[in-house]
Amino acid sequence: MILGPTTSNHPHRDTDPSRASPGGFAPEDNIYLPRIAVLDRVVDEIAEVRTFYWHFEDPADQEAFRRFRPGQFAQVSLFGTGEFPASLPPSPTEHETFFTIRQVGSCTGALHQLKPGDRFGVRGPYGNGFPMEAYRGKNLVFVAGGIGLIPLRSCIVYALAHRHEYQRIQIFYGAKTPRELMYRPNLAEWESAAGVECHLTVDRGAEDWTGHVGVVGSLFRKPGVEIPVENTIAFVCGPPVMFRFVIKDLSALGFSERNIVSTLERYMKCGVGKCGHCCIGVAYVCVDGPVFSYEQIKRLGEDI
Amino acid sequence: MRFRVIHRSQLLDFVELLRREYEVLAPFRGRGRDTYFDTVTDANRADIQLHVSNPQYPPKRYVLPHIERLMTLKREDGTLRIQPTLDTPKRALFGIRSCDVAGIYHLDRFYLGRDYRDGYYAERRRNLLLVNVVCTDPEVDIDDSCFCVCADTGPAAREHFDLQLMDLGDELMVVAGSAAGEAFLADPLFRAGSQAHIELRRQILSDVRKRFKKTTSWFAATVRYVSQDKILDKTWEEIGNRCLECGGCTYVCPACTCFTVTDRAISPTEVERVRLWDACALNGFTRMAGGFNPRRAVHDRRNRRFFRKLAHYFIQRELTMACVGCGRCADVCHGEVGMPTVVEMIRRATAAEDRNPSLIAQGTS
Repeated sequence: MILGPTTSNHPHRDTDPSRASPGGFAPEDNIYLPRIAVLDRVVDEIAEVRTFYWHFEDPADQEAFRRFRPGQFAQVSLFGTGEFPASLPPSPTEHETFFTIRQVGSCTGALHQLKPGDRFGVRGPYGNGFPMEAYRGKNLVFVAGGIGLIPLRSCIVYALAHRHEYQRIQIFYGAKTPRELMYRPNLAEWESAAGVECHLTVDRGAEDWTGHVGVVGSLFRKPGVEIPVENTIAFVCGPPVMFRFVIKDLSALGFSERNIVSTLERYMKCGVGKCGHCCIGVAYVCVDGPVFSYEQIKRLGEDI
Repeated sequence: MRFRVIHRSQLLDFVELLRREYEVLAPFRGRGRDTYFDTVTDANRADIQLHVSNPQYPPKRYVLPHIERLMTLKREDGTLRIQPTLDTPKRALFGIRSCDVAGIYHLDRFYLGRDYRDGYYAERRRNLLLVNVVCTDPEVDIDDSCFCVCADTGPAAREHFDLQLMDLGDELMVVAGSAAGEAFLADPLFRAGSQAHIELRRQILSDVRKRFKKTTSWFAATVRYVSQDKILDKTWEEIGNRCLECGGCTYVCPACTCFTVTDRAISPTEVERVRLWDACALNGFTRMAGGFNPRRAVHDRRNRRFFRKLAHYFIQRELTMACVGCGRCADVCHGEVGMPTVVEMIRRATAAEDRNPSLIAQGTS
């Protein structure tokens, strides 16, 4: 009677006594139980934003986690403070696992206090992620504003690691000032690498800034820039105001709403479709998203 | 239908039979009009109420506790240990009303379905026996707000219980709804019933159905209007304006599922992670770190609750509407925007639109 339809891989987990544990059910079946992670090192990105490199204490957890897809996220647990959802900036093609986190609330604040060697909890990966396999044979256009580059970094690194599977790859990245451009080593690599066009811009220049000045959408009209519209997927991540303007610019170029994809951010407590906080319209952002096409986002009926 | 009968005088013997295996919870009367579920003991068992105004604090807390410890986190000498916790006694809910049986079925669909299965819920649910009592006393069981006849959940549940008792006068009809329930019927307490019992059941139910004061018959149309996004913004606004954002409707709702999670200190080195019921009516429900709140106006939040409960998309996914017609929201709401009122407001707004001559003109042009 209580066995509702489920996509579970373990149809008999209820009835198999060997799976019993002191918690009443096996820890691997506990969807709220974080695994222990160890902080390896911390790298400053920009003001209030740091990258935290970490690994799971148990190598089996690390191995299981490595199956994540670009665009997925994880729940990060801090002792006594709680949990928060965090994008996964690494690509599954890389060996290190890390988060890039802006200090904005109590949990992110607690993470920023941690020192190498400290323990915290991680569970995941969660969410749908970008269907990178389905995009094979297409042009990829990445448009990021500010810390919107964090989730897109995963897709970019993934796409470059599978370079032969895609046609043209273009990156447009904007920040408020040159000091607020993040992932500097990656940016330098992408700017000089063959087979990828990387265009940077800042809203306000600085004395040592020789690059483009203007909002990220203005890069589309920069001399020499030509964006293919046919057979192209545009990834857009950034603050709400940037998102609205970039959508306008891409629509003007002729992009259909279906070919513009983004990830949504919402308050979440569980990450697995139960707590209800991230629900918009008919979608639970944690399990139905966080990746949606702009066509879907418009139908959900809430601000991005 | 497989059923037995039991004499009225033997009801406590039946409760004792349950108590051999289960911690038994049953409805009691408090002061004034208050009623509540509590554990049956030798001291209070004589006070169990067969007929009772349904307690406001819903029995869903026996599968989804109001506050529930999920795990403990211990930090010591540079290590972090996380220990899941779960304490689930075998319990029997004696006297759960049909609407609340439907509520627990809805929770089953939600917590055990889709991509992830909630192990805490599953364990509590596995250890819970539902002994449904049919609402047959119109003076006591049915109050002004009940509308289970419209939500198709009562007065007599058709499924999803383990055992069902129905008062036929001197005797009670006992129906088994599961193998666990059926096992009880082998006890000599229960005797075989006759066709006359079935006829009496039919008659009583037919009479009881006529005694409901609230027949919110526009429910089906409301589901359609909500699903098709045809409800006017001004109607949602009117509903929102009457909401005082207390969250009371969600706390008494047998079908509401939302929760929040927080860490509480047990000692300097140990915290417990607990989940608590949460309410989409509250302002901070969707507010993110940094302060951005994608859902702002109060009518957005009201809209959200009724949309989640009535939209066809979710009904299809969960096979039940997230409203079971218990009427608790109508009882507790200070602004009088419980579910029956909302359905009525939507009906009136639609009727007003129908009378609007400009719309009729548009329709004919």
